[in-house]
This record gives sequence, structure tokens and C-alpha cells, in this order.
Amino acid sequence: MTAPPRALITGVNGQDGWYLSRLLLADGYQVFGLVHGRDGVPVADGVIVIGGDLTRSADVQAAVDYVQPDEVYNLGGISSVALSWQEPILTADVTGVGLLRIITAVSASSERRGKQSRIVQASSAEIFGEAFGAQTEDSPIMPVTPYGAAKAFAHDLARVYRGAGVSISTAILYSHESPRRPETFVTRKITRTVARIARGESVQLRLGNLEARRDWGFAGDYAHALQLIARHPAADDFIVASGESHTVADFVTAAFRRIGVTDWSALVDIDPRLQRSVDPPDQRGDSSKIRKKLGWHPSKNFEELVNEMVDADMQLIDSASPLPG
Amino acid sequence: MPCALITGITGQDGLYLSELLLQKGYDVYGLIRGQNNPKARLVAETVPDVRVLAGDLTDLPSVLWALQISQPDEVYNLGAISFVAYSWKQAALTSDVTGKGVLNMLEAVRIYAGPDLDEVRFYQASSSEMFGKAQQVPQSESTLLWPRSPYGVAKVFGHYMTINYRESYGMHASSGMLFNHESPRRGIEFVTRKVSRGVAAIKLGLSDKLVMGNLEARRDWGYAGDYVDAMWRMLQQPEGDDYVVATGETHSVRDLLEAAFDVVGIENWRDYVEHDPTLLRPAEVDALVGDASKARQKLGWTPRVSFPELVRMMVESDLEKMQARQVESYGLGINR
Repeated sequence: MTAPPRALITGVNGQDGWYLSRLLLADGYQVFGLVHGRDGVPVADGVIVIGGDLTRSADVQAAVDYVQPDEVYNLGGISSVALSWQEPILTADVTGVGLLRIITAVSASSERRGKQSRIVQASSAEIFGEAFGAQTEDSPIMPVTPYGAAKAFAHDLARVYRGAGVSISTAILYSHESPRRPETFVTRKITRTVARIARGESVQLRLGNLEARRDWGFAGDYAHALQLIARHPAADDFIVASGESHTVADFVTAAFRRIGVTDWSALVDIDPRLQRSVDPPDQRGDSSKIRKKLGWHPSKNFEELVNEMVDADMQLIDSASPLPG
Repeated sequence: MPCALITGITGQDGLYLSELLLQKGYDVYGLIRGQNNPKARLVAETVPDVRVLAGDLTDLPSVLWALQISQPDEVYNLGAISFVAYSWKQAALTSDVTGKGVLNMLEAVRIYAGPDLDEVRFYQASSSEMFGKAQQVPQSESTLLWPRSPYGVAKVFGHYMTINYRESYGMHASSGMLFNHESPRRGIEFVTRKVSRGVAAIKLGLSDKLVMGNLEARRDWGYAGDYVDAMWRMLQQPEGDDYVVATGETHSVRDLLEAAFDVVGIENWRDYVEHDPTLLRPAEVDALVGDASKARQKLGWTPRVSFPELVRMMVESDLEKMQARQVESYGLGINR
């Protein structure tokens, strides 16, 4: 009897890490997570946590040597565009150069073991900046934020090293949401506030730019795409997107509709201070390549995603409230 | 039914321990390195009831998986690169397997057991080679360790790590400081087996000499079958601890030769033995003789097979194997 395949996930304690580790565990993988600050991080049951920092080559090498992974998923990094403006150097170091540390460590380890690990890099729609129309894998890379620039650097690195024989693929992920999204993201902020309103709290939903358009999908579906990409024999780049874009206003409408509110204008405040200095007006991905080549398709549409997030937030409030009396 | 996982199952001690545990009614799992390990057949033939799992001590996840599959109550870490002379040529590999492999096992047990850490019992096969340049004669559990080979150094690391996991995490981890223990299953690279085979070959007229290194080296040699019983006894104690396991007697390689030739009735044995200085170790260990009073008192353990009995057992076994092979060769018409 031989041991099962094993995966190393950076950023295992994030939203995507949670969904991906659950899928891999269900497939019988041994799942290891590299986590910065090891104690008390919420990870899926069964994940083995390794302390380590993507900015330290020795940590990354030690984790790779320890796990000897078949698959490495690089989901770790500073994931918020807003934070990347406040911490641009850290963002470049973690989100950008971090991948280089993984590639170097994996190459050294693969050479010693005579067996190649496959790397999947979580790229981002942010590498395309303020592009118009639906982007493909070949669209020009023109980031407009430090986050996008760091992701673009990593994306280019992946292509460079793939050319040099490293088995590394990229998943160019468009916005993907779930009940596990932190409230610093606009979708979760909306559903959380709408749920509180539904539960009778008098709160206002404060938003910046209602007209920004995003291509939103369900994080669980995108985690599945990462798996498919890792298992595909030829390393490549794949756009992972729903292919539809919606405005923030559409999201707000759908969320309020879930709790039976049609006219939400009185419940929402527009605060120009919350607007990003640069904000791609429309992000939409053309995911025909992954649909055709890997048979991927999303399991939830926009409406279902919003409903699930609102429902989860209402449940969260209900389960947290003390029982009356 | 209790369950045990044994690393180093293909080795001499792994086989004896498997037999002992199977006889006691254990479910026994054995870890085997590589998918085409040539020794896997030996395990299947000798102890067919052992369930074999693929894993490597240098690869923590593989060990962890083996623990999760087998769900053992007792873990015996016997796996190592165990030949001292080889450890000079492969010092880094020996450190990885014999030294860091122990840490991987301890860490894997810690992860596997989770909050029930004290319910999984761990045995580490430590060695008298840790005493090396012996600082005290005889050596006991408290004798200062002074290893004299990469193998000894790696075993010291494993020994201290085992103690540290016991003291830091409260793991039921024991270290058996085993002096040399031999048997007909000993690897042919070890001096006792080299002598028993060489003498059997001379007796059968298949060879006319035996080339030896240091005849004055003295060792405390016991019977492996007795020593695996000590391992099991350690894990039945309420607490983990360290124990010297030894006969307390030493014999020289010269004594070994004399006893072995005596079994086949050859008196002028010096005529068959040649000396080769290249077979000397870079650094020889001193008089290694163990004081096993603690094991005798606390574990009620005692060695049963004496030195002459052990040598007789080994020479007779090699005679038998070689005769069987001769018959086989004649039958096939290969030889002569």
C-alpha cells in the first residue's frame, strides 16, 4: 500500500485555502498548509499546519522539503487591493517574490527527489488593470495597483520558469466570493449588513463606488478549477471567471431582494472616501479555455451566490445571539 | 486487539519483533521503503501476517499516512542505516535516516495522536555505539555519551530527541540502548555473520580463508530474539524511560572466531584467518559493555541465549543454508 498524494497550500487559512483543502482532503490527499503565525489559525479539519513566512526563503524551503509535495498551490499573499496601497513593499515581497521562493525551493527539492512537483499560482484579474471587454489568457498585462503589479510579476515569473521546464500553471482568478470572505471585501460587507438589517438592526450600508463592475463567482467553484489545473498534464495559464459582470449596485439589489426589500435607496449611503483611487471600471473574464480544455463550469450563478452569502450571514447572527430569557 | 507499527521491518530486529508481537496477538504493520524493496519478499515469507505499508523515514508525510492507516497503539522505530562502517562513507544519508528520521517519527506520532498523545507508545532503537569512546565501564543509562562514528552521532540525536518528546510533550517514549545483538538473520556485513558464514564456507570446502580487521575489538554480544522482548517490555511500563539492554559480558573478535571454528571442529583456525588493515574502522570504539541492571529490575528482562549458544546457532544456520544451496545447485546442474 502506498501513501496518498500530498498537497502544500500557502494561504491555507484564507477563503480559497479552506475550499481547496476540503476538496483535496475529500479526494484522499494529505494536505499541508504553510501559515504565517502558526497558532489558532482556522483551517479545515485534517489540514496539517506548518509555520512559515513566504518572505523567508529558508521557511519555504523547509516546508517544501518536509512535505515533498506532489502539488503546490500558492494562494498566500496580501490579498486586498486596498492594503496593497498601504503596504506596497510587503505586498511585492509576499505576493510577488513569494512565488519565486516557492519555485526555487520546489526546483531544489524536485531535483533531489527526481520527481517534479506541480505548482499552481493563483493569479488575479487585477493583472489586467483597467481593461475593457472580456479578457483572455493572452490579454495584455497592465496592472494599476501595487497588488496587481505584484501578481503580474508572479504571473510573468510563472511563465518564465515554465519555459525553463518547471511545471507551473497559473489560474487567473476573477473575483470569487463566499460566506468565508472577510468583511473587508465589498461583497461580504454588503451581505453582512443586509443580514443585520434583516434581523432588525438599524444600520446603514456605506459604500464607495456603486458602478464598478466585477465578474463574481463562487470560491468553491474556483478552488475546484485550481485542482483541475494542477492535474492537467500540460502546465498552462487559465482564466477562471463566470464570464458575466455585475455592478456593485446589482449585488446590493440582489442581496436586499433576498430579504424582501426592493427599494434599498434609503438604506445605503454613498461615501466618496470609500472609493478606490484607481478602480477598474469593468472586469470580465473569458473562461472558454478552461471550460473547453478542462471541462470546468461554475456550479452557482450570481443570484445563487448572493443568496447563499446573505443566508449564511443571517444564520451566523442567529447562532451567535443569546437565547431570549 | 493491540496494534503495532514497526519501521525497519525488513531488518533482523524487525522480523524478530514481528514474530513476538504476532504471537502475542498484535496486529502488526511494517513500514517498507520504496515500492520495489528487494527485502519485501523476505518479510512476506518470514512473517506473512504482517501488513506492509510503503514509507520512508526521511519523508514525514509518508510516515504520518502509515500511522493514520494502521492506527497503532505502539510504534517501534527500528529503521536506520545501521552499519557503522558504511556510515563513514554515507555520513549525510546516515544523519538523515538514522538521526533526523527519528525526529520525523516522533513528530508524525505527535500529529497522529493529537490530544491522545499519551495513548500512543513509542520505542526508539538506540545503540551502544552512542557510548563510543566509553567514559565509564560498564555503561549504564547515565553514562556520558561519546559517539565515535556518524552512525553513533545520529543515534545520539535520536536518543535525545526521544527524551525531549517525552519530557516536553509527555509522550510515552522509550529509548532502548541496545548493545550488539546478533542472530542468523544478522546482515552479512556485520562481523558476527561474516564469521559464521566464513566458517561455514570453510567447513564445506567452499572457501579457504577469512579476511578480518581488528581481532582485539571487544563487544557485548547478545541474541536479537532476547532483545526484542526487552523492547516490548519497555512499552508495557506505565511511563516511558531509557534502558540499557546488554548481556554484561564482552568477547573479542578473536573469541568469536575461536567459538565459531569450534562449532565445526576446526582447531587450527589461525591458518584460515588473514589480516587486512583496511578493514579497521577510522575510530574504533572502546570496551563496550552494558550494565543492564535497570532493565533486569524494572522490566524483569534477562538474556536467555549465551555467547557460545549464539555463535553455534549462527554457524549451524549458515551451514544449513549453504548445504541447501549446494543441493539446489547440483539439482539444477549448475555447479560442476
